[in-house]
Amino acid sequence: MNINATLLAQAVVMIVFVAICWRYIYPPILSVMQEREKKISDGLEAAKKADDSLEEAKLAFDKELNQAKSEAAEILEKANTRASQIVGDASKKAESEAEKIMASASTAIENETNKAKEELREQMSDIIIDTTQKILGDEISKEKHEAILKKAAEEL
Amino acid sequence: MEKELTTESYIQHHLTNLTCGKTPDGWTCDPYKVDQMGFWAFHVDSLFWSIALGALFIFVFKMAIPKTTDSNSAPTGAQNFVEMCIEFVEDNVQSLFGSIKNTLIAPLALTVFVWILLMNLMDLVPVDFLPVLAGHLAYLFAGESVEWINSPESFYFKVVPTTDPNITLGMAFAVFILTIYYSITVKGVKAFIAELTLHPFGKWLIPVNFVLEMVNFIAKPISLGLRLFGNLYAGEMIFILIALMLFFSSIPIGILGFGLHLVWALFHILIVALQAFIFMALTIAYLSMAHETEEH
Repeated sequence: MNINATLLAQAVVMIVFVAICWRYIYPPILSVMQEREKKISDGLEAAKKADDSLEEAKLAFDKELNQAKSEAAEILEKANTRASQIVGDASKKAESEAEKIMASASTAIENETNKAKEELREQMSDIIIDTTQKILGDEISKEKHEAILKKAAEEL
Repeated sequence: MEKELTTESYIQHHLTNLTCGKTPDGWTCDPYKVDQMGFWAFHVDSLFWSIALGALFIFVFKMAIPKTTDSNSAPTGAQNFVEMCIEFVEDNVQSLFGSIKNTLIAPLALTVFVWILLMNLMDLVPVDFLPVLAGHLAYLFAGESVEWINSPESFYFKVVPTTDPNITLGMAFAVFILTIYYSITVKGVKAFIAELTLHPFGKWLIPVNFVLEMVNFIAKPISLGLRLFGNLYAGEMIFILIALMLFFSSIPIGILGFGLHLVWALFHILIVALQAFIFMALTIAYLSMAHETEEH
């Protein structure tokens, strides 16, 4: 267990091995590792970015969908109001039409009635005069009592 | 030179390195001439395992480099493991070294961690496997031609490099050199010398400051190396002592030894990884200190 030249030899051997490792072993392995590390971190970053853009797209999609939904609802509402308006208008028109028809019908009826009454009145007076002539003979003529007859007709 | 197998010789055998060095008669690996070698001797077994495991580390990591620079393909198999190691080291460098830019620190930390981990893991190979195998192989191939290999037992072979203080202190020494290099290049010679001489007592007590700071400065690599050595050496020692239980030729003690070995091996896995991590973390810390201008 003496200290001898082995010590120096070992120091030299160590320096040689360290030099080999330093020059030929370590740098290539380390550079591959660092390259891979960089690639992985780049990949992760890209994945994160893709995730973010997906999130964004989802948000945009949701927004668009909501807008479309609200638009559709608006359109539906408008259509509904329009429909009810149309129905309302139509029914109003129909009512007024009906009223008009009723009114014209009642006027026509009145006219008819009046006409019939007039006719009836005329015929009545004729009948009365005829009958009276027959009873009274020629004493009474239509011409003589024109005025009285007219008065009577008016009273009828 | 047949020796009787005693507990003492068994332990001794396991704690002796295969040492080759220069003697007055020339280069030899004869264990009986170690005393004559002096400083210029090498622990061939420690260096062999150290270089083999370092080469294994380089080989595995080199294989794991993707053939194409196409980062689209998912990493598989060995590449996953290697990237896990690198990520672990990067995290530690990041937390200890902060924002200081230095491309050497992370590869250095990676090499230190994986290499020491592999060397420590040799401790989990049962203590007799490889030494006995190496002894028999040596005796088989060189028993006749080499004078000092006269039996498989005469060939020493220590398997765990980190139980050799030369190995751990050698690595600490390399770290120490790097610390000095970065201290000078980053802070400048002037600031570095000032750091060593002007604290803690100001400029009137420069010699005292220098001695104090020098102790502090030298203690770092020494404690770094000895910590790893001590932990692994103790672990190895316990494995050897557990293996010694077989000497009693008693079945109950043998079974107990087996159980103890299992428990200690499981526990030792923790020490193996922890010491590798501590060495790496301290290496990073010392180098980051070399980059910072200290403030007192």
